[in-house]
Amino acid sequence: MTNNKFKILLVEDETNIQNFVAALLETSGYQVIRAESCMTAQTLYSSYLPDLVILDLGLPDKDGMVFLEYVRKNSLTPILVLSARSMERDKVAALDNGANDYVTKPFSAAELLARVRSLLRISRFTAHEDRGLDGRFSIDELLIDYDARQVFIKGEEIKLTQTEFNIVAFLAENAGKMMTYSAIIKAVWGGCAQEGSIKKLQVNMANIRKKFGATPGTVNYITNELGVGYRMNS
Amino acid sequence: MKKIPDYVKNMAITAVILCLSFGFSLLLQYVFEVHEHITTVFVFAVFLISLLTRGYAYGILSSFAGMIAVNYAFTFPYFAFNFTVPVNVTSAIIMIVISVLTSALTTKLKLHEMMKAESEKERMRANLLRAVSHDLRTPLTTIYGASTTLLEHGETMTAEHRNNVILGIKEDSEWLVRMVENLLSITRIDSGTVKIIKTPTVLEELVDSVLLKFKKRYDAQEVMIDIPDDVVIIPMDAILIEQVIVNILENAVQHAAGMTELSLRVFTLGKQAIFEIQDNGCGIPQERMNALFTGYYKQNETVSDGQTRSAGIGLSVCATIIKAHGGDIKAENLKAGGAVFRFTLDTEDVELDEQ
Repeated sequence: MTNNKFKILLVEDETNIQNFVAALLETSGYQVIRAESCMTAQTLYSSYLPDLVILDLGLPDKDGMVFLEYVRKNSLTPILVLSARSMERDKVAALDNGANDYVTKPFSAAELLARVRSLLRISRFTAHEDRGLDGRFSIDELLIDYDARQVFIKGEEIKLTQTEFNIVAFLAENAGKMMTYSAIIKAVWGGCAQEGSIKKLQVNMANIRKKFGATPGTVNYITNELGVGYRMNS
Repeated sequence: MKKIPDYVKNMAITAVILCLSFGFSLLLQYVFEVHEHITTVFVFAVFLISLLTRGYAYGILSSFAGMIAVNYAFTFPYFAFNFTVPVNVTSAIIMIVISVLTSALTTKLKLHEMMKAESEKERMRANLLRAVSHDLRTPLTTIYGASTTLLEHGETMTAEHRNNVILGIKEDSEWLVRMVENLLSITRIDSGTVKIIKTPTVLEELVDSVLLKFKKRYDAQEVMIDIPDDVVIIPMDAILIEQVIVNILENAVQHAAGMTELSLRVFTLGKQAIFEIQDNGCGIPQERMNALFTGYYKQNETVSDGQTRSAGIGLSVCATIIKAHGGDIKAENLKAGGAVFRFTLDTEDVELDEQ
């Protein structure tokens, strides 16, 4: 076990899915540890301490959520959830319980690898410092200066309101991680998410997107997942 | 519209009809001085009540009420009870019998209607199932055949051949994914007991999500977008509405031959948001127009090639979803060529107190 590959714990009970995901990850240079049930996953987790967990929520012995809580009790290991479509509530519940992101089944190799890469990158960053170097955060041509509370795209300053800046800053601090409506609302306004406050968030987001010059259908810095939340792409 | 409980409605019907017949009888008795038809009036009232209410209770109740009214008010001695006269007893019995018979008949009729609707639904479901299973066979053949080919002969194939075979697997499984998404949407609504859950959704985010999804499948197809600058919030099941728009766009790509422009326009009119998906292709053939949203499938065996086969269930899924949202969906051909699909949804006010 003395290699410097990232270790990924794959918790999935469907053999076929497990096989192709494992093959994909292994050919991409990761070390894969496989588990078919919640119980084995817990044992393997504590003996291997993987860098990332890929978790299917529907497991034969217990709900994947049980394992999620088990991991989150004393570690920040990134967790990527595999979930079926049309289960927004499950997704939100998983994210609110500490999952970092999710991929909807069926997914392509590219989608899965992109999420895995971005989650591993973040956990490497956050392990060392909170906000990148010298209180700044940047992706592509977006630059956030936390101390001056300013946002630049292509070197030009984007004028944001206080609330808008707080939202962008919060998403950037959690870049690559899907943040649910309630998580953002709690961080920006405090308190819990009601229908009204979600609407307030959505309207603020609409303004942010406009100021960022985002047009519908093109990938911008912030991705929206209907009914779930937002993610700052990393 | 508020839902009135059944018994309140039935009681109201009973009371109104009884009062009317009582009033009419008073009129006959004292204005026109006709006595012999009063029983008939009440018999008719009992008949009507049994017809219009559910079950036996109201009919029987009203026949007793009628009997008492006739006995008390309209037969000699007036405004006093007298059960010794055989005529009174006879009319009472006749009223009760009529009420029971009518109630039995109407109950049977209602049951029959319900069964008819149920069997219609069953027929639709069987049609859908037949269409779907027929449709599923083709991509499954590709996937199964291609994967066994790769397993057994993969080594000896040229890279190009292998790529083609794998591409076939990918395309056909994508098609299967879409089919399953449609089926899931239908079951999400059709199960009847499960009402759709509407959450306020920002139009722009919906369109964004739709386009990202659509582009993943049809990268080459440009979609022109025209949506209001203001924030429009529409309560909806976003996953389902997303599916509606993707289905219609996809339908255009697959069926609007010669299409060069495809556009999605959304505008608000009063409290309604109107979605228009327009293409400049060949239009919709007249013979398909009637059953565009209802017919699950054209019973045409020749349409099993890749191009046309997902004509299957897409549009009827759209109609089901929009109906479940209380909206309206229509399609028409344009004079200038091409077709437009239009559906409406109710919007919600955007009211905000800043900060």
